[in-house]
Amino acid sequence: MKRTLVILLLFVAAALMALPAAEAVRKKDSRPDGGSLNYGEYGRPATLDPITSNEMISLRLTELIFNGLVGINEKQEIVPELAERWDRSADSRTYTFFLRKDVMWHPKEGEEPKPFTAEDVIFTYKIMMHPRTITPLKVRYEFISAVEKVDDYTVKFTLKRPILNALAKFSFKVIPKHGPSNPLYLTREDPFVRSPIGTGPYLLKNITAEREIVLAANENYFKGRPHVDRFVAKPFADQNIMTQALMFNAIDMIVLVNPRDIPEIQGDKRFILQPYNALSYSFFGYNIRSPLLADKRVRKAFTHAVNRQEMLDSFFNGQGTIISGPFAPGSWAYNLDVQPVPFDPEKAKTLLQEAGFTRGADGFMQKDGKRLALTLKVPIEKESEAVKRVVLAFKNYLKNVGADIKVEFKEWQAWKEDVFFEHDFDIIFAIWVFDDSADISSLFHSGEIGAWKNNFGGYSNPEVDGLINESKLTLDHEKRRTINRKLHAILAEENPYTFLWTLTNYGAYHKKVRRVAIHPYKFFSYADDWFIEEKDQK
Amino acid sequence: MKLSAVRPIAMVLSRELMITALLLLGVSFVVFIILFVSPGDPFSVLLEGQLSTAEVREGVREAMGVSRSWYMQYLSWLAGMLTGNFGTSIRMGLPVLPEVVRVGLNTLLLTLGSLIITLLIAVPIALYSAVRGTDKISWSLTMFSYVISALPVFWLGYIVIYFFTHKLGLFPLAFGFSSGGQKYRWLYQLLPIFVLGVGNGTISEVIRFLRQEMGRVIAEDYIRTARAKGASVWRHSFKEGLLIPVTEIVASKIPFILGGAVIVEQVFNWPGMGRMAWQAAQDRDYPVIMGIAILAAILVRMGSLFQSVVYVIVNPRASKE
Repeated sequence: MKRTLVILLLFVAAALMALPAAEAVRKKDSRPDGGSLNYGEYGRPATLDPITSNEMISLRLTELIFNGLVGINEKQEIVPELAERWDRSADSRTYTFFLRKDVMWHPKEGEEPKPFTAEDVIFTYKIMMHPRTITPLKVRYEFISAVEKVDDYTVKFTLKRPILNALAKFSFKVIPKHGPSNPLYLTREDPFVRSPIGTGPYLLKNITAEREIVLAANENYFKGRPHVDRFVAKPFADQNIMTQALMFNAIDMIVLVNPRDIPEIQGDKRFILQPYNALSYSFFGYNIRSPLLADKRVRKAFTHAVNRQEMLDSFFNGQGTIISGPFAPGSWAYNLDVQPVPFDPEKAKTLLQEAGFTRGADGFMQKDGKRLALTLKVPIEKESEAVKRVVLAFKNYLKNVGADIKVEFKEWQAWKEDVFFEHDFDIIFAIWVFDDSADISSLFHSGEIGAWKNNFGGYSNPEVDGLINESKLTLDHEKRRTINRKLHAILAEENPYTFLWTLTNYGAYHKKVRRVAIHPYKFFSYADDWFIEEKDQK
Repeated sequence: MKLSAVRPIAMVLSRELMITALLLLGVSFVVFIILFVSPGDPFSVLLEGQLSTAEVREGVREAMGVSRSWYMQYLSWLAGMLTGNFGTSIRMGLPVLPEVVRVGLNTLLLTLGSLIITLLIAVPIALYSAVRGTDKISWSLTMFSYVISALPVFWLGYIVIYFFTHKLGLFPLAFGFSSGGQKYRWLYQLLPIFVLGVGNGTISEVIRFLRQEMGRVIAEDYIRTARAKGASVWRHSFKEGLLIPVTEIVASKIPFILGGAVIVEQVFNWPGMGRMAWQAAQDRDYPVIMGIAILAAILVRMGSLFQSVVYVIVNPRASKE
């Protein structure tokens, strides 16, 4: 009896020892491994860690290098990732995560890879919330009141109050305790932000002198080795050149195609254009503080005056959807029953007359001797060609109904200061980008009026405030949906913005890359399943 | 070189270096003030993409340990610089000096290369027309150079890329440095150098200036004497007619070429100072902007220093003037 036990123990020990040393874990989908994928990025990332970085280029890279406790699959469901399962307490105030025991960190140079444990999760949370860490994540995790380690592979989070969709927030990327050189907080000067260590499907191999970021397949990835051997992010300073580089096979993929280049790529059989829904929309926002714009009939008249479909068709090749309210159409909160305000210049003129305006001698509307003259402030962004056309078209549409729009282009930071701090504008053109929580409370709640707050136009409506408060308190997804539908209807009627459109984003890639699924925001979430046929690997 | 020749050079050098130091101080001050009064601040780039309330913004300033008043910010930058510490980039988190020097070398390659191209085109045309006067060939060459000089460099860049890569399929990766691992990559790098050399708008000026100077010198008495006694006109006119005017015009054009480099670097994806400056200006990353401004000022000063030295070597009396 004793002897069998010893043998059994030996066997167990051998099995345990074999675990970390195990050869690359193949995925069981019989797709070929190998090949390399070069993709173009418009610009260079400043940092490569998931905490200090706040730009899309870094976000996409961290998606390849790191994992969260939970992930989100292609059907937008929450799935296990670093945590294999979890428990939620009856009052929804504690979440306990049971971690996978087979996860190893990417090896640091010259060191053995270390195992991933509960310590790393707690470390990540603490470093994220430290006052000296500058990160966009902090505000998103203020709902957590405490985190504790139950054992090496169990972590318990306590929430300040139950919130809706709390689980999805635990998709934050976990960094290793042995990563950053400063154990308390993370700054951009820490070497870790340029040589990150993660658990993800790809590990950072090197950054070349040309600032290309080379990632190599993580042979020990816990979901199985990713199929493609290498991902290389190549920085471009010019979008036109990036498209040319794709055409000449210098790169295999562009994550976001310049709308102007869509026809060129579409006409080429070598490439696949893949649309993905962006949770963002463009709009003209009004300063309600301006006496001319305080009347909602004036704002509605402006919305009637612009032909949004025509602008979308001629400036963006029709690649998008006209919207009617404050949510992106890809979002669950969007109310499809609300129709976009139709293009109707006559209606616009009637509304302006109802609001007390009469046409003056110069052809522009006026009221009490005051001309309907307004300033439109537009930020100059990297690629502003189409934007320029949109604002000039807007100016012309409004001229037709008797409003005199003066367009002012402003450099990005100067524009932000004018709009969010000085509130010195009548109309702005801008784009909001959302995460999947579809939270518009900061945009239209009257409590969000003030310096550097998001209700820049000073829109205030007790009914809207009430609905927003109610939606924040509810834990019932259906109820929140109903509230958001009401909000949508009210705001579509009130026109604090002229809601324009959501543009369809397109990724483009060489068709040698197979089974490409794209996450609308993080892009590379499913890249470990992509593959390249052996004959195309060369 | 004889000692008597070295002394005037040393005098000129020491005088120029003093001026340079004062100039750099002035440049840094002016650039800093412009940055400080321009809207936005370097921290908002760290907050981009989130709700940036006033408290959050204040928190960042505190976390970064940056002073509130402009003079304390400037003085601490200045103190750092005097000890060779140019600070740390706010966006990248990297020390400024090695970064700026790294990209500065790329820019130097681009600008010096393009200068050579400019001279290779301009000098023969100028010499030809100075010696021959206005005939059909010199007239058409000069006209040609004027037309070329009038082309905006960004336009020329796009046309060249369109023509060479799109139409001819040459230079499959003619994007400056992003041709890593290619066999003839140095060849690809010639394209942007050529574009800047042709398109920096100085060819016509160089030609005009050189032709005028050379023409003047050829008409001088001592050249006539040389010609009369059968000596080489070329040897006698070289220093005053070519060397001095070339260094003079090159030195005065360095700022323009650096300006053109910003655009060429953008178009050709050339990882140089201009691109870094462009990005840093958008981010209000003031340590980087200051570092680049100082380096650019040094480059420009080095140009005129070089010119003074050449001038003194040719004509030692000039140091006493």
